[in-house]
Parts: sequence; C-alpha cells; structure tokens
Amino acid sequence: MNNYKLIIMTDDRQVVLERILQVTRYRGFLINGINAQVNTGNQIATIELYVSSERPIELLIDQINKLIDIKGVKVDNKADNKGAQQHSA
Amino acid sequence: MSSSKPLTGGGLLFEVLEQHGVEHVFGYPGGAIMPIYDALYDSSVKHFLCRHEQGAAFSAVGYARAAGKVGVCMATSGPGATNLITGLADALADSIPVVAITGQVATSAMGSDAFQEIDIFGLSLACTKHSFQVSNIDDLEDVLHQAFEIALEGRQGPVLVDIPKDIQQAEVTSRLEEFSHLTNKVQLPLADISNAIDILTHAKQPILYVGGGVGMANAIDEVRDFANQTGMPSVSTLKGLGAINADNENYLGMLGMHGTKASNLAVQECDLLVVVGARFDDRVTGKLNEFAPNAKVIHFDIDTAEINKRRFADAAILGDLKANLPLLSMSLNISGWQEKVQQMKADFGWRYDHPGSKIFAPAVLKEMSDLMPKNTCITTDVGQHQMWSAQHISVDDPCNFLTSGGMGTMGFGLPAAIGAQISRPHDTVIAVSGDGSIMMNVQELATIKRYQIPVKILLIDNAKLGMVRQWQDLFFDGRLSETDLADNPDFCQLARSFEIKAQTITEKSQVTEALEEMIDHQGPYLLHVKIDAKDNVWPLVPPNTANDKMMESV
Ligand SMILES: Cc1ncc(C[n+]2csc(CCOP(=O)(O)OP(=O)(O)O)c2C)c(N)n1
Ligand SMILES: [Mg+2]
Repeated sequence: MNNYKLIIMTDDRQVVLERILQVTRYRGFLINGINAQVNTGNQIATIELYVSSERPIELLIDQINKLIDIKGVKVDNKADNKGAQQHSA
Repeated sequence: MSSSKPLTGGGLLFEVLEQHGVEHVFGYPGGAIMPIYDALYDSSVKHFLCRHEQGAAFSAVGYARAAGKVGVCMATSGPGATNLITGLADALADSIPVVAITGQVATSAMGSDAFQEIDIFGLSLACTKHSFQVSNIDDLEDVLHQAFEIALEGRQGPVLVDIPKDIQQAEVTSRLEEFSHLTNKVQLPLADISNAIDILTHAKQPILYVGGGVGMANAIDEVRDFANQTGMPSVSTLKGLGAINADNENYLGMLGMHGTKASNLAVQECDLLVVVGARFDDRVTGKLNEFAPNAKVIHFDIDTAEINKRRFADAAILGDLKANLPLLSMSLNISGWQEKVQQMKADFGWRYDHPGSKIFAPAVLKEMSDLMPKNTCITTDVGQHQMWSAQHISVDDPCNFLTSGGMGTMGFGLPAAIGAQISRPHDTVIAVSGDGSIMMNVQELATIKRYQIPVKILLIDNAKLGMVRQWQDLFFDGRLSETDLADNPDFCQLARSFEIKAQTITEKSQVTEALEEMIDHQGPYLLHVKIDAKDNVWPLVPPNTANDKMMESV
C-alpha cells in the first residue's frame, strides 16, 4: 500500500465532496482522512485527502480532475514519503 | 395563449430546450413532474410518450447517436427516475450526450421519505458525467444551459437535472442575458507530437486502432486520410465500426474477443499501435499483459484519464482528434507489412457455407447489409446476434451502427432504433434483436404503434439466451443454467397486436425475399428469423487469454 496526500482545489459547489469520495472509492483508493471546509459561501474550497492504494496515484488524480467542479489536484510529495515510511516502519 | 400566464420553471425548461435546438424529447409523466408536463402543453417541443422510462432513456441515446445531437429524456420522481438509470449508465459508458430531466418532490418535502421520493441526485453520481439538483428558481436557467454544455464538452456524456416540483411551479422573475460558459480543462500536449513522429517514422509494422472517439470527434475524414496517407493497416473496436471505410484494402475489421482473425493476429504482431479515440477495453485486449506485446503506443484521446489507464503510452496526444491527427500524417515505407496483412485478410475471410436448410444468421446479416439502402442505421441488442451484426454488417459511418458497447445492455436495440428513426425520418432504421433482448423493452412496440414509426426489426430467434448458452457450453461443461427460452411468445402475433406487419422464416430459401419485403415495406415491420440454437459466434478469444489464441470452432 502506498499513502498519498492530495490537495484538491475546487469550485465550492453542491456535493463536490460527495463526488470526490465516490470517485476515490470507485477507483480503488482507501480514504484514510480528510480535511475539508466546503459550502462556506467562498468561491473556492480546498480539500486535503489522505488516501492509500496499490494503484498509481495518477489514475485517481486524472479521475478527480475530470469532475466538473475541480480546479486542480496536486500530490503533496512530502506527505507521501512520510506516510510510506510510517507504514513500512 | 401562454403569454397571458407568467413564465414558470416548467415553461423556462422548454424555452431553454428550444434555445439549444431541441425538437424532440422522450419521457413519461407522473406526479412530481406534472408542472413540466403542463408547460409542455404550450411548447413547440415534441414529446414522445414511451412506455417505460428505460425506453425513454434509450430512445434519447439512440437519437443522440444517430444524429450527433443531445438526446433529452424526462421522468417523474422515485420510480420514474430510477427507471432512467440503466439508460444513463449506458450513455456514460459509451460517452453519449444526453440530458435527463427528473421531477422531484417539493423542496419542503425533500428528505422526509415523501411519496415517490428517492435521492436520484445521489444515485446519479455513479452513472452520469455530472448532475444538478435545483434548489432555487433563480438558478434553473443557468443550470439547464450548463447541462447542455457539459453533455457536449470534451468527452461527451449524460447529465441529469433534478427539479423539485415547487421550482417547476415557481414564477421566473429574472432571465439571464448570457449564460456562463465552461472553462475547458483539457491540457494540450507539450512535446509529444515530435516524439510521436519519431516513433511513427521508425515503425515497421504499425496498426491504426480506431475507437468510438473518432465518430464523436467528427474526425472520420481525418482518420481515413491518415489511414490512406500512411497506408497503415487498421482495426476497429465495436464502437468504431464505420469510421474506416470497409473497402479500404488495409482495413482488417473488428479486433478483440469476437474480432476477425486477421485483426487479432496483426495486432499481436505489430510494433506500433496508433490508438485513436479508444481505451484498451478488456473486450478488446483480452489478457492485458499479452496484448500487442511488442508494440509501442501513440495514444490520441480527448480524455486525459484514458492515457496510461490500462496501457502505457509512449506518446500521448490529448485534445481534438480532428486537429491533432493530421499533424502525424506522412507516408510510410511499409509495403511488406501491408502485403502480409492483406494476405491474412484473404486467408481468413468470413465463410458463409453452413450445412443443412436451417438459416445461418451471419449469412442473413451479410445479405441484409448488401441489400439495405445507403445510410441505413442499424441498432442492435446484446448477445450473439450483436456480435454477428458487428462482424457481418458493413456500415460507412459509426452513426449508422448503434450498439451498447461499454455496458452491453440488453433492451437497448428497440428503443434506440425508435430514437434513431425520429432523428432521421428519411433513413431506413433496422433493429437487430434477439429473442431474449427484445423482451427487455418489448413495451416500446406500443410507441412504434402510437407514432407509426417505420422501424424494421430483424429478430434472430434461437430460443435461447444464446451468448450465455455459448459460454455455458464452452466454459461451464455444458451445464445449461436458465438460458432456455423455448416458451417464447409468438413474436409475429405480438407484433401484429401493435399493428406491426410481421413474418416468420425458418429456411434458407426464404431469406432473400423476406429481407426484401422487410426493407421495402413502408411502415414498421418485424422479420422473425428462426435459427439453430447451437450456432456459436466465432472466433472467440476465451476469457483471460491472449488475442492470438482464439477458438474457431468447438
Ligand atoms: C440487461 C442485461 N441482462 C443480462 C445480460 C447478460 N447477457 C448477455 S447476452 C445475453 C443473452 C441475450 O439473449 P438474446 O437477446 O436472445 O441474444 P442471443 O445471444 O441469443 O443472440 C445475456 C443474458 C445483459 N447483457 N444485459
Ligand atoms: Mg437468443
């Protein structure tokens, strides 16, 4: 299992969080944690998503990016390494 | 008439539909969508009452695919909405632009388990490209415009708009001057064009692998030019059929599980796959890590997420195929390879000899293909008859071969043919169906009757769920479990009760005349063709097997 932290920038729209969670599950990634503040009335929301999977993270990034409201998705590489070390320790 | 009444949400819906050029919608009314049906009464949009919401969804899909426009369907809340889901899933899997409108219980009742309340918005997340639930009348107009834009933008797909009853009834107080356009997120490639040219120049045995994306990108001319200029042998997916003209001497037909022997052997041997609007579906690749084992890949697609999803691309070219493909056009020095594949094509051509007097479905389909007028639109259901249709009918445009590819949904053929015929009233439309599949949306015969839709139905009857029976025979020791349909209804009588002319044939000698009669008939017609229950679809690549290890008989 590899651990990743994704930083997702999105238009702050209806059920965007639910959409991200649905895609993440369906594409074979386990959700380990989430920090999100949505429906704040601001235009843009930032969501931090901690996931793990055997699958390459690019597969999930591409699929999340396809959601209509998403502005961008980044992997936090530092978190990735740290997560991986914690697991192998 | 309507001008004396204030504009409501329902009326606004039809105004926006008209703005997007929608002339026809498919649907079924009910309590929570009544204000929309009331507004329909004053609208110039023509509504076709289907006899099941699944039929409405598939008619919208057939309409969209045959005409290259957005298909629109509508249904009431609860069971009406859930009945649309199979059609939306089908449209998502095959990237078909459809807008589905559902009625919802009033906002005040939502979340109270009200009568006919279901969370269709929640259900839609997994089976649409995008969806909306309108909670304020002021948002409705913008949402509807967005629905059309999203359905058509980039990789096309279905969009659902759920509209609570009070929003349908609410008075519209302000109109948009302009609606906001989507910002296109497709990122264009940086350096891959030159990389691709380099790979292509060095290829000795390249193959062009053509998918459904070609027709959807309106890039048929570009793909044919590319095939001609490079002289590259080509193969097609189920959804790509028609993109390459069947008389191209280097075109080898469909690849994959029921592909031609020449296609599959050539792909396994090639050193380069130029993939255009295709996605390495498992029905295409067989055992993935043994698919085209020596090939580099140049992958053209509109959807970033298809690149490297199932097969690594040595060069990826994202964006509009129509603009991008000509960038790679060049002449190649591959005459030895061309000769080799042409020889394979000649050696492994289809054979139509079949012992006995019983009708051989592949021969019927081949003959129908030769007899049918130019621009005939074929729809199919799912099963053996579908694969035989893909193998033996030649079409010259993907919009003339409508089949449920990604979902493989039985029940697709008849309602899709109705939608196709409505979008193209002057073309012949033939639904090739099976005795199992036709019963899945048989109620749509009533839609044919009501609107006198001149769809032809070629019903291939083996008194079996034939494709499943074939697998039980081949891979489950002949343990035939729940695949016998010996108690089928009398299909001709059934058709006649909907005022559809019908005939049964059982012998080879009857085929030509019966096909001619069906094709020449002005109105709807059902030709019931009884075939041998034991006929199998060949070749067949068994599950989890490389494509060159196909079975060709038992
Ligand atoms: C809605 C749906 N249910 C089940 C299946 C599984 N399935 C695939 S082919 C097939 C048999 C189809 O029978 P028929 O329409 O008679 O076609 P045939 O194979 O006999 O030509 C079945 C049950 C399916 N594809 N779709
Ligand atoms: Mg059958």
